[in-house]
Amino acid sequence: MYSMAEIIIGIIQGLVIILLSPLITGIMRKTKARTQKRMGASVLQPYYDILKLIKKDEVVSDQSSWIFRICPWVNFVSLATAAFFIPLFLTYSPFGLAGDLLLVIGLFALARFFTMLASLDVASAFGGLGSSREMMYSALLEPALFLTIFIVALTHGGTNLSTLITAVSGATLLPHPQLIFAAIAMFVIVLGETGRLPFDNPSTHLELTMVHEAMILEYSGKSLALIEWSQAIKLLILLVLVVNIFVPWGISSSITILALGIGFVLLVAKISILATFIAYFESSIAKWRLFRIPDLVAVAIASSMIGIILYYIK
Amino acid sequence: MIENLSLFQLVVILFASGALLGLFSRNSRFTRILTFVPTMIGSFFTVIFSVSVILENPFQLIVPNLLPFINLEIKVDGIAAFFLLLISIVSFAVSLYSIGYSKEYEAKKRTSVFGFLFNIFILSMILVVASNNSFFFLIFWELMSLTSFFLVIYDHDKEENVKSGLTYLIMTHFGTAFIFASFLLGYIQTGSFSFDAFRNSSSSFPLLTKNLIFLFAFIGFGTKAGIVPLHIWLPQAHPSAPSNVSALMSAVMIKIGIYGIVRTVFDLSGFGLSPEYSWWGILMIAVGSVSAIIGVLYAVIEHDIKRALAFSSIENIGIILVGLGLSVVFASFNLTTLSALALIASMYHTMNHSVFKGLLFMGAGSVVYATHTRNMEHLGGLIKKMPWTALLFLIGTISIVGLPPFNGFISEWLIMQALLSSYQIPSIILQISIAFASLPFALTIGVAAATFVKLFGISFLSRPRSETIAKIKEVPRSMIAGMSILAAACILLGVLPFLGISVITSAFHISSQPINPFDAITLQNSFGKSFANLSMPVVVIMLLSVTIAIFGFIKVIGGKTKKITFSTWDCGFGNLNERMEYTGTSLSQPIRVVFKTLFKSHTQIQREFFGDHKYILRTLKVESFSKNIFEEKLYLPIISSSIFIFDKIRKIQTGKINAYLLYIMITIVLLLLFVRLSHNV
Amino acid sequence: MESTQLSILTISGSILIIATFSVVARRGFMDWLNAYRHQSIVLAGVTAIIGYITGIWEIYIAAALTLIVKSIIIPKVLTQVTKRLEIEFKTETNPYVSLRTSVIISALLVGLSYFLTQQIPFRSDPVVNVLLPVSMAQFFIGLFVLVNRRTVLSQVVGLLIIENGLFLFTMVLTHGVSLIIEIGIFVDILVGIVISSILLFRMSRTFDSLDVTNIENLRDD
Repeated sequence: MYSMAEIIIGIIQGLVIILLSPLITGIMRKTKARTQKRMGASVLQPYYDILKLIKKDEVVSDQSSWIFRICPWVNFVSLATAAFFIPLFLTYSPFGLAGDLLLVIGLFALARFFTMLASLDVASAFGGLGSSREMMYSALLEPALFLTIFIVALTHGGTNLSTLITAVSGATLLPHPQLIFAAIAMFVIVLGETGRLPFDNPSTHLELTMVHEAMILEYSGKSLALIEWSQAIKLLILLVLVVNIFVPWGISSSITILALGIGFVLLVAKISILATFIAYFESSIAKWRLFRIPDLVAVAIASSMIGIILYYIK
Repeated sequence: MIENLSLFQLVVILFASGALLGLFSRNSRFTRILTFVPTMIGSFFTVIFSVSVILENPFQLIVPNLLPFINLEIKVDGIAAFFLLLISIVSFAVSLYSIGYSKEYEAKKRTSVFGFLFNIFILSMILVVASNNSFFFLIFWELMSLTSFFLVIYDHDKEENVKSGLTYLIMTHFGTAFIFASFLLGYIQTGSFSFDAFRNSSSSFPLLTKNLIFLFAFIGFGTKAGIVPLHIWLPQAHPSAPSNVSALMSAVMIKIGIYGIVRTVFDLSGFGLSPEYSWWGILMIAVGSVSAIIGVLYAVIEHDIKRALAFSSIENIGIILVGLGLSVVFASFNLTTLSALALIASMYHTMNHSVFKGLLFMGAGSVVYATHTRNMEHLGGLIKKMPWTALLFLIGTISIVGLPPFNGFISEWLIMQALLSSYQIPSIILQISIAFASLPFALTIGVAAATFVKLFGISFLSRPRSETIAKIKEVPRSMIAGMSILAAACILLGVLPFLGISVITSAFHISSQPINPFDAITLQNSFGKSFANLSMPVVVIMLLSVTIAIFGFIKVIGGKTKKITFSTWDCGFGNLNERMEYTGTSLSQPIRVVFKTLFKSHTQIQREFFGDHKYILRTLKVESFSKNIFEEKLYLPIISSSIFIFDKIRKIQTGKINAYLLYIMITIVLLLLFVRLSHNV
Repeated sequence: MESTQLSILTISGSILIIATFSVVARRGFMDWLNAYRHQSIVLAGVTAIIGYITGIWEIYIAAALTLIVKSIIIPKVLTQVTKRLEIEFKTETNPYVSLRTSVIISALLVGLSYFLTQQIPFRSDPVVNVLLPVSMAQFFIGLFVLVNRRTVLSQVVGLLIIENGLFLFTMVLTHGVSLIIEIGIFVDILVGIVISSILLFRMSRTFDSLDVTNIENLRDD
């Protein structure tokens, strides 16, 4: 069983993800602004946005039902709960006894399901638009995601995140070849799940290019704050998973203050670099036509298939 | 034993009395109560009976020489008791539901026959599962098929119902023929109809016989379960039947097919722990994956609520078969713990599917009861008029999509873990093939989410799409009560998975340590570290605490804010009506386009212009069709070639008496020649 | 054989597979040409690694030749020739199997080549072990591209990938012993490309199309 200190650190890991997520979103927006030769808002702007929105009144559609009202809470609760299962700067989390990577994916699916329902609830065409496109994306990304989890879980010995990241942190400098393919597939999946270019443009409101924004178009006030925050949490969870599984060096395996501190600092640095890279990558491409996206997902699926082959033929 | 015996007899008496009361009471006001209350009580006692068999010991009853030389043998062991539990829970809920639902058919004054058929149907399913003798198994199986056929064509005013009933009748007899062939092979080997005889000597059957027994049983029971390509009756029969019957058929009857497969493979066919049997499991995994993906892809483009649910049943049967196949493959390589894991996963999904599919069909029935239409393109906004039905339907939807913390997630988690554990199989080809087979499995889960967003969203949410919706009311309380029983079961099986797992482990005699319902599910990898952990009660507590925390946080920071109700944002257009919402067809359009080679849909557009201008449209009609490739490419050629052959054979029937006398003469001569010549040998 | 060298070998093989895929997953002639250039650079790198591991200096020459001929000269020749072609010949007309399905089929072909090389009795040599399936995969993928595309221009794609695969195949099995033959093959390919480019140009001017299916018109019905 876990000691009290470890449990407290586990709770702190979850809280750090929840509280740090708007900062990472801010970093990505700033990077995009800079590459577009704008000054951009400060990196702390998402915090100010969320706090401002919480204090505002809400306008609710007269066509909507309790599903519309409950969806932001379901979003936030499921994603915030998922944050507690992710080892951040320590290789394990005591909550690993309760849930694993598949549970985290299931909680993502729960949030997405309610968002799709709520978008249909308001009886506008935008909601249906976003919902139908999101249905296609999530259905196509599922096989790639499952096979990538297959590769990672088999290489490192489990879907339990604590076991996974503990095994990864002890690995050699050179990666296993199947992990290269898993990384390629994971990159495409992260772009798709968080609604980044080329899947979806998170800052547009044109119906030609909206997917996630179309689903949350009707929200305002507290609900919008919760939804924006949930998106940031989801982005950070996925980035932490990518960093800690594929680039794990520096994560601490013991609960001494020094190791934890180094782990935390290195983690923030790695995440910031990854976020900047993704933002830079987004600035260099445009949103793809809807029916070209399956080609990209096919690349992710093919990549993970080759990863499986390489794992088994070793 | 005595107690079990009296319980069993009580159950049979109760169902029979319900049937007879239904038949003899012509007064429609009390018929509903008289018919369905004995069903409820009978189901209740069946639950008690099956739980006592699971906990204690198997129950056996032999009525000797009921027919000449054949004993009526009843044996309820753990496997049968598990399926009896499923049958009884669902029939309890559905009979409670039927008390209110039959009001719809009262106007036609045929509820008496309905009650009779309904009770006999459930009783025949119970007796099929309890049979220990292949002769009586087939008798009760046939009884089950016939009563369900009559129930399917109950509403025979509509011609399409009769057509679907006929398709169902033909396909089920096709399956029964294969089951009969399978049992016949067993009879040839052992000389007896009893399953006990099969069990005792089956391990010494020749390998070819065992393989054939499995293959025929798989095809026969699989037809009843609805595997692809033998599934075409399912999407026709389940929508045509009255909704309480559809609930029973989809939730329970197709599981009897699964029961048959489980019984044959694990009990009767002499399955051994050696790799030559692995092809059985591989076949099941292959058929299961194909059924799952085909079922769900046809479900997502469907706009008839009940037909979409029927296709979804095909999908879930596919998932159950994948789990069963994995169990067989693991067992054939002597990986018995993994085999137990896959079997638990598969049976948990069976249990889950009975519960939430029964709930969903009952919900669809409530919708049909209130709105008299099955077409979701005419529905919408039902959540405001039928709040309880909507809530219970939502619970069923969340469960079937496999979202935490409800029961669908647990069984899908277990099956995924079984798939991940396939790395322990010692054959590289199998390892890679099973890894690739998880691709359609994952795709199925994704498209299933899309299907049910569409189903719930288009029917219950947004604006009503036709005027009749404005006047509907909530359904009677008994229907809501029936649905809530199954909804409670969904929640319970989701939050406390060990209730379900302990039922399965004691029923199937899988050993596990004594456990309490709040334990976590733990799997270990080869290094002794934990491969995966899942503890749903802890997850639920976490969810609740985060909810409380964020609620408090928002309250503190945000202070008092108002909620203003206003019309949906419309870009200043100002005139939003229901024609501008998304329809079901448009919602599934992206998926339809991505998989267009499967659907072969084509669109027909007709335009009418004002006068001679070709620019100002008066009307525009767009129709879009998708074809069912199985009916076209597989069944129609077989049917037309059979009809062609039958036409040729018909020439024998000349109608002339002399020709028939000639046939008799030729037959007698040939028979005598045969006898004479065989004596020479 | 040290394990780090083995890992480097495996990783470089993986990068070569990725580069081959990037050639398949493209529409449009210029994209393909760039991807082919990258793939040749990776191939040269892999050859150099083989040279480093086996210690045979002639392999370095082969690597340098690959670099020069395949990533500089051939793309230059092709761009020159096709510059005079009309634009519409450079974009892909629909292949027989759509792009996303062909990517997945290529993954299956990689699996097939790994499966086929399981029985080859060269187990003791790690270079063969790791890179033989990669070369066979390149060969199959090139063949598949050849079958799948309708225009002659993109069929040249397939041909060049096949050639890359064969080059790696011989290099891996013979360790560069027959360097003269390698040089001969290079010259062959170069001349072949020049000739086929001239033919391409002629065909487009005469028939106004590069579609291979037009040959069916020669059938006698």
